[in-house]
Amino acid sequence: MNDVLSVKDLKKNYGRFEALRGISFEVRDKEIFALIGPNGAGKTTTLRLIATILQPTSGIVKVAGLDIKEDAEKVREIISYLPEEAGVYKNLTGEYYLRFIAALFSGDKKEQEGYLETARGIANLGERLGNKIGTYSKGMTRKLLLARALMTKPKLAILDEPTSGLDVINALEIRNTIREFARTGTSVLLSSHNMLEIEYLSDRVAIIDKGTIHDIGTSDELKAKYDSANLEEVFAEVAR
Amino acid sequence: MRKFFVLVRKEIRELLTPQTIIPLFFTVFLFLFMGQVIGAEGERMSARQSISVLDLDMTTASKAVPAVLEQVNLEVEAYHDTSVDAVIKATKKARGTVVLVLPEGFEKDLAASKLPQIEAYNILSGFSFARLQAGVTGLALASINESLSDKVMTSMVPGTDPQILKNPFKVKEYVIVGDKMAATSLAEVTGFVMAQTTFIPIILFIVIILAATMIATAIATEKENKMLETLLSAPVRRTTLVLAKMFAAGMFALVAAVVYLFSFRYYMESVTGGALSGTGGAAMSQAIRELGLVLNPAGYTLLGVSLFFSILCALVIAVTLGAFAEDVKSVQALITPLMIMILVPYVLAMFLDINTVSPVLRYIVLAIPFSHSFLAAPNLFFGDYRAVLYGIAYEIAFFTVFVYIAGRLFSSDKILTMKLRIRKRPVLK
Repeated sequence: MNDVLSVKDLKKNYGRFEALRGISFEVRDKEIFALIGPNGAGKTTTLRLIATILQPTSGIVKVAGLDIKEDAEKVREIISYLPEEAGVYKNLTGEYYLRFIAALFSGDKKEQEGYLETARGIANLGERLGNKIGTYSKGMTRKLLLARALMTKPKLAILDEPTSGLDVINALEIRNTIREFARTGTSVLLSSHNMLEIEYLSDRVAIIDKGTIHDIGTSDELKAKYDSANLEEVFAEVAR
Repeated sequence: MRKFFVLVRKEIRELLTPQTIIPLFFTVFLFLFMGQVIGAEGERMSARQSISVLDLDMTTASKAVPAVLEQVNLEVEAYHDTSVDAVIKATKKARGTVVLVLPEGFEKDLAASKLPQIEAYNILSGFSFARLQAGVTGLALASINESLSDKVMTSMVPGTDPQILKNPFKVKEYVIVGDKMAATSLAEVTGFVMAQTTFIPIILFIVIILAATMIATAIATEKENKMLETLLSAPVRRTTLVLAKMFAAGMFALVAAVVYLFSFRYYMESVTGGALSGTGGAAMSQAIRELGLVLNPAGYTLLGVSLFFSILCALVIAVTLGAFAEDVKSVQALITPLMIMILVPYVLAMFLDINTVSPVLRYIVLAIPFSHSFLAAPNLFFGDYRAVLYGIAYEIAFFTVFVYIAGRLFSSDKILTMKLRIRKRPVLK
């Protein structure tokens, strides 16, 4: 399988603080790859770097062969990023927000309509799309944002804690949507604290702590390697 | 360019909320309402004023006083054979404000050159129109004085016009501006020009603060709610993001400026009772035109350009300051330096002539881009187009440098990691 994302010896310092200490991993085509780790492990920094929002201190990151430093603008055309607990423009309607983002990705009206059609399917908000986002529940908002992130069918979707703070039903719907999209061609890089969710959702997992990736593998491989019943135990073993 | 307009449309839609529109209309309504009320009240007060006169002498001289007061358009309520207290009580009841008491022996003392004492009672019910009330008393006393002094002089120097004794010479005042001259007084010219231009810095101040707070709050909100991260990862140039935000806020500021300008002008005209457009105003306008103290279309254009770039300078500073904001609450604190930057030239321009202050202070003031807008109108009146053009060039240079800085800021990590540490140290994630 081809690599959609390739990260080599990626380092990021904030002043004297080393947030990432040279991490390397790849995300393959149509793969769901998860970064798991505690708060402050470097998950969000990694995702922000790949989303071209932050500049790496050193290392090479390529998305579909494009360097995130040299070709940042082209990279932004083929990725989408969903920040953890991202907010919304409360005065805009869901429909207007989706149209706005669609127009940033394409000047072609027909293509924009295609994006919107996809987004409507993912968000599944029906007529509520015509209401202001400020009136949405947390679950509705998250589904709208996920629809925004996936509607352009990006080569790489970067999702930071996609189900954070959601109830079981909403979390399940979002997980199913992510899986469906991965099948149709979008590779997914996500982060989560929720090890059980990661086990269910991801093809491969990287365990990250204190800016270092300790191990990478499928859930089954990691569980077998560390002789653990689930990823939580794997993580406890690795982090020890 | 297409993405720029997509972003501008979104920004305008975000800005045009009841929270921003209602205060705008409320301010306009307030100006119009205040103008109506103060104008109507002023008109009522400056219409024919009433004055009570208690004549305790009842002689030819004292009986002539009401007629003298009628001549200066005062409505006289004449009293005699009663007490001062009773007259004051009656005047209060009739909502009058001034009582004059002509003492017993008024005529006799006048004839004996003994300076009779007229008592003037001012009934004060508030300070709003106290000056106007003082004017009524002053007018009444001056007209009595004028009339009586004429009589005294005529009796002392028969056959001579008392006016010649009082004012043995006439004055014709001229004002010279450059090589132009007009027969008018300096006080009138200054008053007229001030009335025409004084609202420009006030409006500029209000609009700049409004627009700057709006844009800084918008950025702080986007940053706090992580909406900015979505935009930064979208296929849009960072400078396009910055410029679109400023353009939208600038458009809003311009609309607000025009709306405020008209409502404030209406308010001023209501308060001054349309003095500027009256007969005296017409004569004054003629003198002002002769002196060249009017803005021609080129002058208005330059003034507009200077104001526009002032707003843009404020917005680009606000964008930069907004990028430092950790959250919406910290915006007010961050905007304070900008407010001081606007206040300094505004206050100094009111009390000092910037062109004549010490060089150090002058350069400090001129380094603030907004100073050039405050100075543009006076410079244009005196035909100093070069100073205005230099000012605009400085504003453009300032704006360009700050757009570059803001663009760099939005392209770097700093937009997410830089925080003004007002209360606590940030935690890096």
